[in-house]
Amino acid sequence: MTIAPPRSTGAGRQAQAGRGTPAGRTRVGAYPWAMAAAISVAVCGAALSLNGVLRGWNWYWPAMTTVLVVALALAALRSVRAQPLLVTAGGFLALGGVLTLTFFRSSSFFWVVPTGATLPELDRLVQRASETVLAETAPVAPNAGIVMVVCAVLGLAVILVDALAVPLGMPAASGTGLLALLVVPAMIKPQSVGVGSFVATAAGYLLILAFSQWFAPEGRLQGGPARSPGLMRRAALTGALALAATLVLPLAIPGFDRGTFPQGSRLNPWGASTGLNPMITLGNSLRTPDGSGRITYATNSPAPLYLRSVTVDSFDGDSWGPDDRSASRVPLDGRIDPGYQVLTDEQVRLVTAIDAGTFTSPYLPVPYAPETVRGLGGQWTWDPATLAIKGSDSTTTRRQEYLVTSAVPKLSAALLAQSSAPARGIPDVFTRVPGNVPDIVKTTAQTVAGSAGTPYQKAMAIQKYLRSAAFTYSLQAPVQGGYDGNGLSVLADFLQQKSGYCIHYASAMAVMARLEGIPSRIAVGYAPGRLTGATITVAGQGSLPEYEADARDAHAWPELYFQGLGWVSFEPTPSRGVVPDYATEAAAPSVADPLGNNDGLIPDTAPAPAPTPTATAQAVPGAGGSASGEGVQLMPWLLGSAGVLGLLLLAAAPHLVRTGTRSRRLHPRHPDLAVPLAWSELRDLGTDYGMPAGDSETPRAFAARFRSTLLGEPDGMDKDAHQAVASLTSAFEHHRYGRPDTGASATAASQDIPGGLAAVEASLRANAPLPRRWAASWLPPSVTRRLGRLLRMPFSAAGSALNRLPRPGARSRPAPDAARGRAGRG
Amino acid sequence: MEPHRRTANNASAPNLNLAGVADAVSHLNGHRPAAMEAAEFHAAAQRILTTVNTVIDGKSDAAKLALTVLLAQGHLLLEDVPGVGKTLLAKTLARTIDCTVNRIQFTPDLLPSDVTGVSIYNQASRLFEFRPGAVFANIVIGDEINRASAKTQSALLECMEEHQVTVDGTSYKLDEPFMVVATQNPIEMEGTYPLPEAQRDRFMARISMGYPDKDAEIEMLETHQAVSPLAKVSPVVTASDVAAMIATVQQVYVSDPVKEYTVSLGRATRESPLLRLGASPRSMLQLLRAAKATAALDGRDFVLPDDVAGVAESVLAHRIILDRKAAGSGETPHSVLRGILSRLPVPQSAHGQPGRGTAAAAAGRNR
Repeated sequence: MTIAPPRSTGAGRQAQAGRGTPAGRTRVGAYPWAMAAAISVAVCGAALSLNGVLRGWNWYWPAMTTVLVVALALAALRSVRAQPLLVTAGGFLALGGVLTLTFFRSSSFFWVVPTGATLPELDRLVQRASETVLAETAPVAPNAGIVMVVCAVLGLAVILVDALAVPLGMPAASGTGLLALLVVPAMIKPQSVGVGSFVATAAGYLLILAFSQWFAPEGRLQGGPARSPGLMRRAALTGALALAATLVLPLAIPGFDRGTFPQGSRLNPWGASTGLNPMITLGNSLRTPDGSGRITYATNSPAPLYLRSVTVDSFDGDSWGPDDRSASRVPLDGRIDPGYQVLTDEQVRLVTAIDAGTFTSPYLPVPYAPETVRGLGGQWTWDPATLAIKGSDSTTTRRQEYLVTSAVPKLSAALLAQSSAPARGIPDVFTRVPGNVPDIVKTTAQTVAGSAGTPYQKAMAIQKYLRSAAFTYSLQAPVQGGYDGNGLSVLADFLQQKSGYCIHYASAMAVMARLEGIPSRIAVGYAPGRLTGATITVAGQGSLPEYEADARDAHAWPELYFQGLGWVSFEPTPSRGVVPDYATEAAAPSVADPLGNNDGLIPDTAPAPAPTPTATAQAVPGAGGSASGEGVQLMPWLLGSAGVLGLLLLAAAPHLVRTGTRSRRLHPRHPDLAVPLAWSELRDLGTDYGMPAGDSETPRAFAARFRSTLLGEPDGMDKDAHQAVASLTSAFEHHRYGRPDTGASATAASQDIPGGLAAVEASLRANAPLPRRWAASWLPPSVTRRLGRLLRMPFSAAGSALNRLPRPGARSRPAPDAARGRAGRG
Repeated sequence: MEPHRRTANNASAPNLNLAGVADAVSHLNGHRPAAMEAAEFHAAAQRILTTVNTVIDGKSDAAKLALTVLLAQGHLLLEDVPGVGKTLLAKTLARTIDCTVNRIQFTPDLLPSDVTGVSIYNQASRLFEFRPGAVFANIVIGDEINRASAKTQSALLECMEEHQVTVDGTSYKLDEPFMVVATQNPIEMEGTYPLPEAQRDRFMARISMGYPDKDAEIEMLETHQAVSPLAKVSPVVTASDVAAMIATVQQVYVSDPVKEYTVSLGRATRESPLLRLGASPRSMLQLLRAAKATAALDGRDFVLPDDVAGVAESVLAHRIILDRKAAGSGETPHSVLRGILSRLPVPQSAHGQPGRGTAAAAAGRNR
């Protein structure tokens, strides 16, 4: 139930109390400050939940400062009895001041007054924030832009909550401002708002409600809902209904574990990502429960084929992304030159036909290293440094079908082991060690690979370390641990938690290899897919088996450069992809285990390993089908019966509410309340049986109409009912209009109220037609009307609040003066 | 017709009236008649009404309203076409009470001194002696009041409002109870002086008798054939009984919701676009007094909104003035008042909200 005491401005309250005792004055004096404290607690509590949307806690102090300053400014203005509109305007000024002080101190006048030079800075920060929102995934690094936006929003929330709670007098509605804050983490963070934040917000909200009730002037209490009887019961009923709805509703509507907003997939209302930064979207793609962006391909490769879209080679900055190097890109026409010498003569040439389907990205997935690509539409360029092919002028991979020939040297462990010469002739960007590598990364690299001799041994040591049992593959752990994403700090977290997915493994290996002197980069693309069973006929190659891969196969893996052999890919991620032959160690059979769901790819070349029982949690669609067969059979029944139960409960709700109301009225807490409550019951009975009491109807007139319309002959079978109505009317008139000290006689006269009402209802039922009788017990109009009133209440309250806003020069009621004027003329 | 015919039912009227003046003075000095017990009150009221109803057939509502006005210390204006029993009602009511009754037939040449009284030089004592006028009685019947000149009408005005007469600078108190029952003929208005608004406002209620229904008329023909039933009427209560009844009425309790209802009724008439002039605060006072008398006649010691609504038309209809447009569209004061009453919200307890006393108690507990 909405608690909406009549609107009264803060100044008005003080004025009212100011005429009272000095004690009243001091009490009201504390009101603005108490309210400011409550609002600050609520908004700061709601802001707590943004941890996880923003990384770390550094952003919290400016945010809290903003909230406190705005709340204090509002309270200070209110305590000097400023006009309500002035108070809100002052809140906006304070917000502007504190934002200027925090973010634009250098360009401001006297630290808090923005100047002309502030505007470009503001523009820059807003730009930055919008880039962050568009390009990064939560948790984002708290840069100045996003923190400024968060501070501004929190300040606005304070003003909104304050305006709703104090001048508009709708403290209950002020919760909407807090909800607006909580919606953000609820949508973005998989673990939602979090307990601590919710508790803090709820506490602040309750304080707001409490203060607006406690500090209300006395006159408003008596008629107010807070003082009416049955408050606890109503509260309990409301709470129980809400709880029941929470339990029943998810059964009735499509759940949140699939459908539009699957949990963990994170809401992306702007459609599928176009892959501007594949590093960012990769985690989300992997968490998609139903694979989207399906790619099919046919290849003559004997080994499982990785499709590479793009590489990440610069490990600087908060968030890594592909470097397009648009200046040095070459239009794609003809042969693609890898740009380095491969010493070995044995090249394996592969032909792959790819249908990109619905996969949409500017980067073209191709097997490494592409030599020619035919059949593409649109403008494409390739980067000589990485051989990544990218569409320009909004050309994307969508609906592209193309044929790729690629060449890789026939690698073996022996060949790699021989390559011990330092790398030469490759761009500097692949060898540069980032400046701020966390210590844990350095020490781990040193411990794992420091003692190894050749680059190949180092690489193998790192891969072995990452594939060891200490690490577990998990899509959720980084999200819950707050290190989802990429970057050096994420890497440090990953090495501590030892749980993550391909991005973490790939970047760990790439960074550690670079620390050990091996040029490295991260390739992003698709891990080998599954056989579809179909075959595709490719010109010159005959029919080739078709594979499919979708968003769940999105993958990242490291590529390391070996002098004389070129870029060589490794597979440090456990349970994903396939470890290349050259990177397997015969001595370590455990490494070969996690071929996982890809065993279908290599039916002939390798002995199909059984899936390890220790396979980590991984979404294997369809794999659990037979295991959970019973559950599948049982669930529809359970859901169905729960739904039927819920519907029954819903259908019976009006009846239950009506019955509850009646029993409450017939058993009042205080004997003085017996008569008015019984009278309310009589009025409701009238409403239920199609004769609602009019506003302008006196009790006596209502009773007369009731008796003549709804009851039968006064002398017949309905004699008792007539008598009950008459005596109840008389008792109510005594109670309502009689002398206050004759309450005892009224109570005595109404000894058998329940019996009388029962007689009245029996008589009503006897005289009413069947549909009316049915409606009265199962869909009583007295309940449905009240429900309708309740639903309209927020709107009517808002409407009347708007009407009551002071309008200069408007006179609410011209009638008396005008009437007098007319009378004077007459 | 005699210019001023005085019908003194009581032979020794003037002397008694002077004694009455003394009574009134003592009454003003703090002596109040004791209130009557409820049962006694009810019995007395029933006696009066039964007696009146034996004379006037089928007009029990009008009779009850007349008694209500008497008990509420107001004055009554009977307005209707000739021959429906206006004067008979007034005379019957007066006859049932054992008190002084004077009747004034108003004519254009009636002088104010005929109403109030005049000082006459007594040659024996060589002093001016006050001879009380017709107004010195408990019940004064003013027949065809709109036929008298404005001067004479306003002489009556002071008596009605102040319950006193001022002649040659000396004020003479009137006897209690004092009630003026005036009749007025709305049809034949030529050569008359219609009562101005200010004077109409002094009358607590205006009643239209209306024609009796068929059965009542047949019975009337039967009973009134040979001898007037008025002759058989003998007083059933004394003047002091009536004073006690009035005291009882004054003690009727009026709760806050009823006061609120009354005031909002008055405000509604002032804010109604159909009315040029709404009800005055004095009329609110008279409305509540009439409601109290109604409640007492109904055997209650507290007023219901029904009481207020029940007398509202009679009390207010002759005081409000219709807007010209409303009058043109066929509205009457009665219809406007009925409309207002049908829309006026009755203050009664909302769902689950406690009544007055319990609300205060609950607030006290919670504080």
